[in-house]
Amino acid sequence: MSDFSLIALLGCAIGLIGIGFAGLVLGRNLFRIVLALSIAEAGANLLLILVGFRYGGIAPILEPGRTVANMVDPVPQAMVLTAIVIGVGVQALALALAIRARNAYGTLDMRLLRERMESDIDRAAGTTPDTSRQAPAGTRPLPPPLLAKREPLS
Amino acid sequence: MIVLVLVLPLLAAFLLPLMPGMLRRLIGPAALLAVAGIGIDLATITFQQPVVLAVGGFLPPLGIVFQADAVSAVMVVAVALLTLLLWPWQGDDASVLDRKQALTLILAAACSGLAVSGDIFNVYVFYELAAVASYGLASGNNAAAKVAAFRYVILGGIGSLLAQVGITLLYFRTGTLNLAHLAELAPHTLYDPLGMSAFLLILLGFGVKAELFLVNTWAPEVYATAETRVSGLLAGLVSKLVLIILVRVLTLIFAMTEAHLAFLVLGMLGTLTGELAAYRARDVRRMLAWSSIGQLGMAFVAFSIPGPAGMAAGLAVALHHLIAKPALFLLAERWGGSLASLTGAARKSPIAAGLFVLFVLSLLGVPPLPGFWAKYLLLTGLAAQPAGLWWLAGAVVLLTTAIEAVYLFRVIGALYTRDDSQESQPAVNVASSGILAVVLVGAGLASPILAAPLDRMAAQLADAPSYVARILPALPMPPDSTMPPPGPVPSPDPMQPPGPTQGVTP
Repeated sequence: MSDFSLIALLGCAIGLIGIGFAGLVLGRNLFRIVLALSIAEAGANLLLILVGFRYGGIAPILEPGRTVANMVDPVPQAMVLTAIVIGVGVQALALALAIRARNAYGTLDMRLLRERMESDIDRAAGTTPDTSRQAPAGTRPLPPPLLAKREPLS
Repeated sequence: MIVLVLVLPLLAAFLLPLMPGMLRRLIGPAALLAVAGIGIDLATITFQQPVVLAVGGFLPPLGIVFQADAVSAVMVVAVALLTLLLWPWQGDDASVLDRKQALTLILAAACSGLAVSGDIFNVYVFYELAAVASYGLASGNNAAAKVAAFRYVILGGIGSLLAQVGITLLYFRTGTLNLAHLAELAPHTLYDPLGMSAFLLILLGFGVKAELFLVNTWAPEVYATAETRVSGLLAGLVSKLVLIILVRVLTLIFAMTEAHLAFLVLGMLGTLTGELAAYRARDVRRMLAWSSIGQLGMAFVAFSIPGPAGMAAGLAVALHHLIAKPALFLLAERWGGSLASLTGAARKSPIAAGLFVLFVLSLLGVPPLPGFWAKYLLLTGLAAQPAGLWWLAGAVVLLTTAIEAVYLFRVIGALYTRDDSQESQPAVNVASSGILAVVLVGAGLASPILAAPLDRMAAQLADAPSYVARILPALPMPPDSTMPPPGPVPSPDPMQPPGPTQGVTP
């Protein structure tokens, strides 16, 4: 294990995180977004493992007659185990929610889903949206007043 | 005893589906009542002397530590009582109700865990536990809630990722995860650009749940679609516990000016954007959601003031918001519609409207109510700092209070507009928010008495050296423990970075 391979591995970890974040920001499909999150998590876990790595280290199992000097650090490994378990749970939950959203709105496109959710919230609240993608500001009619006008009290 | 505050709700959550009949409905509230009792007992102890518990008899730098100071004890009591007030007593379906109650219990357990944890990786685990429970609670029963919850899961996942990388950097530089040990090592190892970036990663990562600026876009969507009960829990409770954790990281580990300024600037931006967005909101629930972002920004600004004065101001703002916001969300349950539909609601439900006015006045800071003292402490704390960003923050706080007054009085105006022709408004359940109103008014009346405990909490929170001193050196061994203090494998020397930088080839 040379310096070069270590730098390559660190680069891989940071690159995976970068790829994952790019996917999270640019992705529109819900499944790809979940996939991007799991890629970024893989990168973060690799980074954590590399922090505990030692050249020529052996597995951190203490047996009689074995010195502790040349073992890899076990703490990051325990942390990565926890992080993997948490990540799996969160991804399963996200996929379940994506299926529910697909069943409700008939699409997996994040932008369409967001638009439909916003209009649903607006409808439930009884308000009209105050921005529109179809009509830019200046061409659309003014939004209704905040408080409905009523007849003056007689 | 400290362990019980998180073990009891967790155990109750897992036992709940196994219980027969009536017991199933009682086990949750019983566990929460027990936690409240333990919390009050802890408070009586910790206001004199904070408590430390080394789990399993392993001593702190290696073992895991739970610690309870006055802030933790008060937070544990708040968790238990607020969860009881917002408890899902009844629902349409028995199995749905079971799940809701179990998730609420897990949320309470995770919040208690955040309050007493003394180890940053444990904090991460409890944070994730709270996050997963709140994802489940947020994905209510309508379609919009599913989409909102999905977006919340993704943003929460990004936050956990950032926090995990931040913790990795901390461990890389120091080789420890214990907060007290980190505090001891920080001046030599973490006061540099890498340490600062670790702080920013942790701040932004955990800040997702504390509705910090930049990572708070989930809040209006989730609060508008989830049940108001859940919105109250998330805005009132979870955000405060995460905030306290971030403050501990700030005061213990990163007690440098740049970190305080990061708190200040992000808090200021959060206040400004939150209140301006609330001004534009056209329905009560999203208005309250944006306003809670603004209020939490104000708490960040308060905690950014160095020293006990800032801690006192921050605790006052946070605790006041913890009482006021869930009550406002509960009152808005039946008034979820647009502002126009609220016209004349005060005549149909005068008590609810009166309570709404009371909480709004306290939120704005009208003198006899506790909100006034919170803002007073905040502004005097900011004014005592050298001029510059801190005074700008004071100006921002005053400006946003004016904006708050405009949009909240718009609601009150609608409530009390005379209106004879409307169909009948549904009645509002005022029991829980009534209790919170009693607490609020009581706190306002008892403010001379409450000043001393608040100062004590603030002093304990700000006093990093004694936090380190009580956890690290001479923790007495439990008498029944026969284990040698270190874990099975002695870890590498914590002063040396354990990572690849050592570069020893065999």
